[in-house]
Amino acid sequence: MRSRIGVLAIAGVSLVTAVVFALMAGMLVGAHRSALLAQLTRGADQLSETIRSSTYWDMLENRREALHREIVTLGQQQGIEKVRLFNATGTIMFSSDEGEIGRSLDKNAEACYACHAAGSPLQKLSTKERARIYRAPDGHRVLGMIRSIDNEPRCWNAACHAHARSERVLGVLDVNVSLAEADRQVAHDQRRLLLLGVLAVLASSLTLGWFSDRLVFRPVAALIAGTRKVAEGDFNTTLPVKAGNELGDLAVAFNDMTKKLGDARRQLTQADKLASVGRLAAGVAHEINNPLTGVLTYASFLQKRFADQPEVAADLDVIVRETKRCREIVRGLLDFARQTPPQRGATDLNDVVRRSVAVVINQLTVDRVQLDLDLATGLPEFTADANQLQQVAVNLILNAADAIGGGGGTIHVRTAAVELPPRGHALVRAAACPKGCDLIDAGVRVGRHPGIRVLRRQHARDTVVHLDPVYGRAAHRATESSEDGTLADYLCPRCQTRLELPDARCGDCGAPAFGVATGEGGRIEWCTRKGCHWTRWAAADARGAQRHLELSVEDTGHGISPEDRDHLFEPFFTTKGNRGLGLGLAVTWGIVEGHGGTIDVTSEPGHGARFAVRLPWAAPANAVTRTP
Amino acid sequence: MSDCIDPYDWPEGADFDVLVVDDEPVVRDAVARMLASEALRAVCVDRGERALTHRALDACRLLVCDLMMPGMSGLDLIRAVRARRPGLPVLAITGYATPEVAAQVAESGATEFLAKPFDPEELLVKVRHILARAAPDDAGKEVGS
Repeated sequence: MRSRIGVLAIAGVSLVTAVVFALMAGMLVGAHRSALLAQLTRGADQLSETIRSSTYWDMLENRREALHREIVTLGQQQGIEKVRLFNATGTIMFSSDEGEIGRSLDKNAEACYACHAAGSPLQKLSTKERARIYRAPDGHRVLGMIRSIDNEPRCWNAACHAHARSERVLGVLDVNVSLAEADRQVAHDQRRLLLLGVLAVLASSLTLGWFSDRLVFRPVAALIAGTRKVAEGDFNTTLPVKAGNELGDLAVAFNDMTKKLGDARRQLTQADKLASVGRLAAGVAHEINNPLTGVLTYASFLQKRFADQPEVAADLDVIVRETKRCREIVRGLLDFARQTPPQRGATDLNDVVRRSVAVVINQLTVDRVQLDLDLATGLPEFTADANQLQQVAVNLILNAADAIGGGGGTIHVRTAAVELPPRGHALVRAAACPKGCDLIDAGVRVGRHPGIRVLRRQHARDTVVHLDPVYGRAAHRATESSEDGTLADYLCPRCQTRLELPDARCGDCGAPAFGVATGEGGRIEWCTRKGCHWTRWAAADARGAQRHLELSVEDTGHGISPEDRDHLFEPFFTTKGNRGLGLGLAVTWGIVEGHGGTIDVTSEPGHGARFAVRLPWAAPANAVTRTP
Repeated sequence: MSDCIDPYDWPEGADFDVLVVDDEPVVRDAVARMLASEALRAVCVDRGERALTHRALDACRLLVCDLMMPGMSGLDLIRAVRARRPGLPVLAITGYATPEVAAQVAESGATEFLAKPFDPEELLVKVRHILARAAPDDAGKEVGS
């Protein structure tokens, strides 16, 4: 089924080749055979003329014994079948086949027919008319050539007086030449041409088959397989782009389409999830807030009524407090669904941590978790949304407590002012090609940050590469690997503009450098040589070490498996089963991103995890904010 | 037990202060109870349409209404009330309090906005504030007293 087109094409081409060869072979062999026969006929005629001349005197002087010897000798020559001489009445007088001497020939026999067909003998015959072809008893063909021996004055004046003047033809010389050798040669030529024809058909079929398999069927099969995989929902499918032909273009278009489909689906899924949370939050908020109003109201009345009974009042306090907590949870859910932008103000990170600890301390006590606070003194105030950062701290601490489980353990919460070198910490948040296309790809993350999408072109093959947006880390991701040390062109995946920089070379190996604009005149540069990790971001280097405030939460829990690490910050991702909605870290991520910060996760499964939130202390002068 | 005055048992000419509209009985009762602690008498109805057709609307000096109700929505009710009694203070209460909803409420002409769940003190602070600011020429007060 798969190769039906191929089978049809090969059958068609073979048929045409075979017919052309057959016609050609027929014409060639026919011409060759005619030419050979004409040559042999001429040869036989000359031979008969030679025999007549050389036996002329023997015949005239009636030297029968000598004539007989000559005829026998001639008949023994290679290729000569038989030489004979018969008289006007058809009696064989001399022959190299001595057995037939004296026999009479029927005038209707094939040797006589040419002249005697009209009843009386003809006088003059053309060479062709004197020639005849017949089959010898053993089957091979023989060319016979007759030549009349005409009467002439010397004959009738000769002393023997054997012939009268009135006689016109005295006898006939019949020379028979074997055609076996010529026929063998023609048959040999025929066989050779047939073999050549078969070889030509075979070669053209194989060539066609090989080319169509390599150039058409394999790419088409890959395309079909890829399409099926995409249909099954695997949007990471990429086809190798091998050829620079139409199918190569199709593969590029297919990869592009799949990528866009995948992006669209991811966005849809994300939007869908958020919309679901929004609907859920709206429903939950409306449904739960009404009964909560009742609980809160009546509990408050009871508080007043039992103000003089401390034991009851204390219990009612718990009811009121917990009801208010429910209210906060519902509001948090609503807030998440709405993704509010930060309300920034002067914020003290230590204060945020203290308030967060106050919120969670009861829970930690219940879980038998020790809290080790290490708050740096003299931290500067910075601009941030204190409420949102409190949510971050609470989320991280509660997550750490969950990771520890019921068995007890310790959570270390630290704050510090840190100076981070630009390399390894400065994040490219905006990247554009010379024509202004946005290269930041939110759909593909490199180490949890949106990668910088470029096209690597090497030997006419395009590979999508997501460059690491963290300056100096070089954990680039490519759909296909290439050999270390090789050079490549880098292009904008949208407008195909080359990203190579005419005014920059690699500082390590001297190869050409390429780069992208990072906003406000800055640019980041990389080496075009695979495996060379040279990179330069002059603007980030010029700013020097960046001052950050760091909040780290480290636990002694079960750690995070490498598989889970990739999904940690996705909404609804949870390892807590029914105990978590899976929104905590997603919210945390959104808040930290909103503040221009980063979250660094280090974990050794079985030995706990450390979440380090780093928030820029002051926005740098040429802020690396994303272009709109 | 309930501090809600059933509008259909409401005696002609009886004195009351607040019309409460909410489809949730527990919220109506809780609000009426809170108001009662401040010596404010409340008439309660469960739907916007009923509030609009009831003569109590012309007599009250404060309307407390929920936003999400079956049938007529709270926003529609507030707009209709605004057309009939432009000076009547309105306190909107909702379980779906987002800035967008708050903006819609302000646009519809409500005086104040309160997110559910609230405790008695939160409601009463708002009510006292509203009534203190209420114009002395408020028709309902004059008719009622």
